[in-house]
Amino acid sequence: MRNAELLRSALQSLRANPKRSFLTTIGITIGIAAVITILALGNGVKKRLSDEFNTTQNGEQYTYLYFTPNDSQSAASGFTETDLNAIEERFGAKVKKAAISHETNNASVSPLVGNERVNNATISLFKRPTSKISIIAGRNLTTNELLTEEPVILMKESLAKKQYQTVQNTVGTSVSIGDHDYRVVGVYRSQANTYNDNKYGADLIGGTKLFYSGTTATTGYGIKLTFYQGANAGKVTKKIKKYMEKKGTSAHDGTYMAVDAGAELTKVNNMITGLTAFISAIAGISLFIAGIGVMNMMYISVSERTQEIGIRLAVGAAPQNVMAQFLLEAIVLTVGGGLLGFVIGWLLAGIISNFMPYHIHAVITLNSFLLAFGVSASVGIIFGILPAKQAANKNLIEILR
Amino acid sequence: MAMIRLEHVNKYYGQGATRFHVLHDINLQVAAGELMAIIGESGSGKSTLINIIGFLDDDFEGNYFYNDQAIHDYTRADFAKLRNQHVGFVFQNFKLIRDISIAENVILPLLYAGVGRRQAKKTAARVLSRVGLGGYDDKLPTELSGGQQQRVSIARAIIANPDFLIADEPTGALDTKTSQEIMDLFKQLNQTQHTTIIMVTHDPRVAEQCERVVKIIDGRIVDDRKVGGN
Repeated sequence: MRNAELLRSALQSLRANPKRSFLTTIGITIGIAAVITILALGNGVKKRLSDEFNTTQNGEQYTYLYFTPNDSQSAASGFTETDLNAIEERFGAKVKKAAISHETNNASVSPLVGNERVNNATISLFKRPTSKISIIAGRNLTTNELLTEEPVILMKESLAKKQYQTVQNTVGTSVSIGDHDYRVVGVYRSQANTYNDNKYGADLIGGTKLFYSGTTATTGYGIKLTFYQGANAGKVTKKIKKYMEKKGTSAHDGTYMAVDAGAELTKVNNMITGLTAFISAIAGISLFIAGIGVMNMMYISVSERTQEIGIRLAVGAAPQNVMAQFLLEAIVLTVGGGLLGFVIGWLLAGIISNFMPYHIHAVITLNSFLLAFGVSASVGIIFGILPAKQAANKNLIEILR
Repeated sequence: MAMIRLEHVNKYYGQGATRFHVLHDINLQVAAGELMAIIGESGSGKSTLINIIGFLDDDFEGNYFYNDQAIHDYTRADFAKLRNQHVGFVFQNFKLIRDISIAENVILPLLYAGVGRRQAKKTAARVLSRVGLGGYDDKLPTELSGGQQQRVSIARAIIANPDFLIADEPTGALDTKTSQEIMDLFKQLNQTQHTTIIMVTHDPRVAEQCERVVKIIDGRIVDDRKVGGN
């Protein structure tokens, strides 16, 4: 018998009992869905870890140290070259490089908007005009302006409305940040920016070149520390923070804060890894029980369809044809359940990731698919083989009598 | 030359002290093209005998030569192949698979012979119209009368062009008129297609329409004679 025919008759007999077939697959579906969900979230966390934070491609880690002045009008310079040299000298064994952080995505600033100081504002900096924002008043920045360091800037809709009521009023007003006074040439529509992870959602958008010219080139409120491979970045960063609190140039004018985004994510990662083991164990039990359900159903099916088996054997089916048919039925059942579980797991992971911190996305890989397919097919084979053998070894004479 | 040749065939059911001797030293030859009836009381061993002749039962003592091949040495899988290629079965209770269509039932032997479904379905339509059931392809067995179901079962038996048909009480579940229709169909197959037919029956009206009648009592052949047939 051709393989396509075997598959066809397997599907045919499963369709004859749709409710029973469906109920039998539920266990497999739940087991696979649970595993896929947790794997997708775990992969999401790992991807976020390696993509965004803490680890560069060659395995180096980096952290940030920020200075916040006590007084927002303060003239404190934050980190200076003196500080950087001191850090490199003292922690040179671990720290490969300490540099003023020229953050371009959602850098923290305290601009003077009109006459009012706005604390905790963010600015994203670009070398070329971006088309990922939609201008609702005025115009976008031009390539030429950014190149020639024109003091022009764009403001977010929400900030503009708060300060000037309408976006039209905002165009032409001035914003001062650090040494520079900027003219607002356009207002763009607000975008979501919950975890400061969307650079197009910052309060202000300006040019990189002008922003980091003058004193901001050698001093700044943030430094980026790059560590040698294997160094305990989190621990050393804390030591550097303590050192700066004692000996830093601006130690008396403000406070220091270490940001090790990787450490936070590592916590989440560890939690997910633990959860993965736990859920995998539960899923394993679920799959085992589901497998026994499949076996039970196949035994029932074999005894219900004794006549059919006899007829097939009588018209010339070889015992292995009959065995293949019943085995295939079990596999179709479990793989069907497994693929359904895969889809449900995918959707579930997508939904759950909306409620996860740090903007973690569910990541489904080809391996997850192969795992779902492989595990469910194996369950079908393992728990289907005995009933299928029983079907193939039925005594033809006794059936037909 | 005999197509079927049984030599000293003995058959037992059970084992040890409870062993029951069903067939005693059966010697029988059937030539190609015969229309033969095996008659006897129930329990006489006639069904056991045609199960052996029809390759359904591979567990017997003695020799069975099929076209001079010593098939008593064959394996279980070989027997499946023999059944598929050389014999067609018609059973008393039709033995159709209930939840698949008439055509799907009829094409089973062809599918197991490796023929594609499309080709098999064409052949099935032709064979079904030959047994008087043209256009019934997509009906379910339960939608048909007993006589019609037996015709489906005959269509299934002949679709792969077997060398011979085995019919175990083919008219046992049918009324007189329908029985005669089925017998007419068998006789027509025997005369026009020269299909060898071996049937078991206890209905004398059926037996007397065959060319040869073999009588079995208590597992022994007691009578084997040519009758006129018609």
